[in-house]
Amino acid sequence: MAETVVEPKVEVALGTPWNVVVHNDPVNLMSYVTMVFQKVFGYSKQKAQQHMLEVHYKGRSIVWTGARERAEFYLQQLHGYLLLATLEKAE
Amino acid sequence: MLIRRLKGNSIELADIEPIEAELLRKIPSVCDTGGDSRAEARLFSNPADSSERQFLSDWDEFVRPELRHLFLSARKTVEEDLGKLSDRPGRPGRLVVPCAHSDAWLNTLNQARLILATKFDFTDEELSMHEAPQSFSRRDLVLLQINFYAAIQERIIDAVNGEEQE
Repeated sequence: MAETVVEPKVEVALGTPWNVVVHNDPVNLMSYVTMVFQKVFGYSKQKAQQHMLEVHYKGRSIVWTGARERAEFYLQQLHGYLLLATLEKAE
Repeated sequence: MLIRRLKGNSIELADIEPIEAELLRKIPSVCDTGGDSRAEARLFSNPADSSERQFLSDWDEFVRPELRHLFLSARKTVEEDLGKLSDRPGRPGRLVVPCAHSDAWLNTLNQARLILATKFDFTDEELSMHEAPQSFSRRDLVLLQINFYAAIQERIIDAVNGEEQE
């Protein structure tokens, strides 16, 4: 009987994705938050507004997901605009 | 006060009443936290939960000083612009700010509003109120100040996104 050779699985070293989360803050204006999302992520006004409304009504919005280094960069930008933003491991 | 975008990439704040000029001139000093720990905590909020110990430590060491520099630099820009505010007694004032300074203005106004809101413990509800206050306590006046700065932020955003006028 022929032996079945099982090839070992090659692990692809894809980094864990990270979420950049923006939290609600009663001081930051809706128009300001929308503008910041457009500037930092280059989002269209519509997409930026969707995230802003999610922050406003749900208390938080995952505004970007991806590689850790890039997430940290975005996080720093958002803090520069005084938004409440955190880094979280994506599930 | 009227805020509009002018030709030549600048924003004009016109018809500035004396009381408005006074509130504008207060912006840089309001941004001084005076070491208030809650105001500092709001300006420099945590970027992750405590499980990210190394990241938080690096952030404190490298990012926080950069953010502090950014906020101070924005404040300085606004302070210098305000030095050009012309308001002779009995006449409304005028100030022209380059559009390139709009980020510094929005940032500094945000600093001022966040610090005032934190120092005076305003609730979400209070900050969303738009009715005139029942009394005129110091706290009520600070809320009016916060809303005045918010209105300027809104108008600057409109002006930056809007069309140039003569």
